[in-house]
Amino acid sequence: MTTLNDYLIASGLLFSIGLFGVMFRRNIIVIFMCLEMMLNAANLSLVAFSRFNTSAGLPDYNGQMLVFFIITVAAAEVAVGLAIIIAMFRSRRTVDVDEISSMKG
Amino acid sequence: MPAYYLEIAVVVLGLVLLLVEAFTPPQHKRRIGWAALAGIAATFLLLLTVKSHCGCDSPMWQFYDDSSLSLFFKGLALLCTAFVLMLGLEYLPVLEKYSARAGGGPATGEFFALPVLICAGLMWMASAIDITTIFLSLELTTIGFYIMVAYMRRNVGSLEAGVKYLILGALSTGILVYGLSWLFGATGQTGLDAIRTALPSAARGPALFAFALILIALCFKIAAVPFHFWVPDVYQGAPTPVTAFLSVGSKAAGFLVAIRLMEPFLAVESLRTTCIAILVAVACATLILGNLAAIPQGNFKRLLAYSSISHAGFLLLALASDRHTGELTSTRIIAFYLSAYLCMTLLAFAVLIIINKSTGSDELKAFDGLHRRNPFLGFATLIAAASLAGVPLTAGFLGKFFVFIAAAGAQQWLAIGIAVAGAAAGFYYYFKVIRHVYWNTAPEGAAAIPVSPVAKSLLIILIAATLVLGVYPQLILGLL
Amino acid sequence: MLSEYLPVLIQMITATGLAASMLILSVVLGKSGNQSDIKNSPYECGMLPIGEGQPRFSVKFYMVAMLFVLFDIEVVFMYPWAVVFRDMIVTHTIMFWSMLSFAGILLVAYLYALKKGALNWKE
Repeated sequence: MTTLNDYLIASGLLFSIGLFGVMFRRNIIVIFMCLEMMLNAANLSLVAFSRFNTSAGLPDYNGQMLVFFIITVAAAEVAVGLAIIIAMFRSRRTVDVDEISSMKG
Repeated sequence: MPAYYLEIAVVVLGLVLLLVEAFTPPQHKRRIGWAALAGIAATFLLLLTVKSHCGCDSPMWQFYDDSSLSLFFKGLALLCTAFVLMLGLEYLPVLEKYSARAGGGPATGEFFALPVLICAGLMWMASAIDITTIFLSLELTTIGFYIMVAYMRRNVGSLEAGVKYLILGALSTGILVYGLSWLFGATGQTGLDAIRTALPSAARGPALFAFALILIALCFKIAAVPFHFWVPDVYQGAPTPVTAFLSVGSKAAGFLVAIRLMEPFLAVESLRTTCIAILVAVACATLILGNLAAIPQGNFKRLLAYSSISHAGFLLLALASDRHTGELTSTRIIAFYLSAYLCMTLLAFAVLIIINKSTGSDELKAFDGLHRRNPFLGFATLIAAASLAGVPLTAGFLGKFFVFIAAAGAQQWLAIGIAVAGAAAGFYYYFKVIRHVYWNTAPEGAAAIPVSPVAKSLLIILIAATLVLGVYPQLILGLL
Repeated sequence: MLSEYLPVLIQMITATGLAASMLILSVVLGKSGNQSDIKNSPYECGMLPIGEGQPRFSVKFYMVAMLFVLFDIEVVFMYPWAVVFRDMIVTHTIMFWSMLSFAGILLVAYLYALKKGALNWKE
């Protein structure tokens, strides 16, 4: 039987993989995928919490509503983000975060 | 009239402006700015007629708060948006240069439609009392800001700032959502009222974990320490009106969300000490870093960025003092400080935009001999710098003074010591600006700097507000 | 209970094993023997390869993909709305109008994209 803890461990792992990817990878596209993974980790834990938090035999659907909103917001974020990254790539010919540092001080 | 009609009005205004933008010829884009300004001003007038706690029955009230505090922050958001639109009109020549389309003229219309939509997000943030609406309104503003920061796509600095803001903003979103999911898990509720009643019986570990994650994510919004490193670069690269919007609007709404989300934790006896200790530590780190890093800056925009970080430190200290008694509660202090911050920061950015327009530079050197080239502009810089530093009789002084009162009441002596040192360092680097204006001589052949009527009226309003709030704080405190 | 997944495990082992053995065999056997440029070029059914390995796609593909994702994901709200409130929509008109206003916002976005030429493949 899968318990709440199993889901939380899986979501925690997903979140950590995403966080480490954001911190240590240098390709913006990969970083962006890691960010999506973090959002999905949150989604997984929300659904798990909501599934195991039953009242009168029914799951608490408030948490699952939030998941819907997170999914759509993530899609909007990806659309805007990819547009900015494409604009960046066209002007600088790179997707390496170490190379985008013309500002210092 | 229920308060949420205001947000609906602003959203409709934004959508109409977007459509008008798409269907008008490029030479008429300036009018979109004026239309947006008129719409926002009309909404502000409508806001004055809204009474809080209207008796109307609606399922909205589960997610939506219309207390005087919410209405006050809505007003702040609307005012800030109006000023930013005026700054945008002033900034238009620079914008046109850097936002040219591949096949034709400049694309500046959306620059006035997007702030309206962001304003709707800020207003929602002011009223959000459910983690779903908090998340949605936060994202509405953040995604809008992604586009605004990267708006000048022929300018490498703006694009770089956009990418940085995008990645760190998305990272903070991820952390926030994960924190919210743990808050939901610990309490089983999404409404903040229900969370407040459920939190005392929640497990301590998950609750503290959620607190830490949410605090880290909100630090991105308010430009405080664990998440401050985007601030200087993004402030420098973004179009200046957007920088002003980020530093005032985003911070004000972020602080109200922080107040709302932190309050349930601070009310629980077993979590209170730990949470306050974390908040004070974050405030101290923010104060130290913001003030120390500001000292060597030679670029006015970066200076304002670090100043924004250090002001976030003062505001966090007020939040950590968690004062609920008397005239000066933490919430009222923060509301007053943010109003003062709005006036003086927008004043500084307005001066910067005018100077940038004629000299093309954001460096402090461009301010050399400003009082000879345009005495009024020099005076405006003097007031802005004095108020940001906290000279008595200006709004900035009273804001800092109230924070010290609250912190002394909470007996945070170490934090007060750090804050005093930070304020002293502030005097040094803000007076460096004044020295450039009044002592340094202008370079040979520097022409007088013209100020357009729009900009002049904006400057006069902001100077007057800064001075009036400095002697008559009741104007703001009486509203809450 | 886990034994139900045995076929999946066997399938995975077979698939990875087959691919790995093919790769290893081609390296081991292919290294020996004489080599030339023609032999090292990719095998395209006897045709000579033309152009680069990674052709550049027009940015229009991304544009359409992005718009698709944005409009497509909105069904996430309409589907539960239609299922959960199936009967209430008839009695409570506000539910109908709120979804219609949501669709109206999408329509504004669509008109904007159309007018800006985001869906224009020619030119």
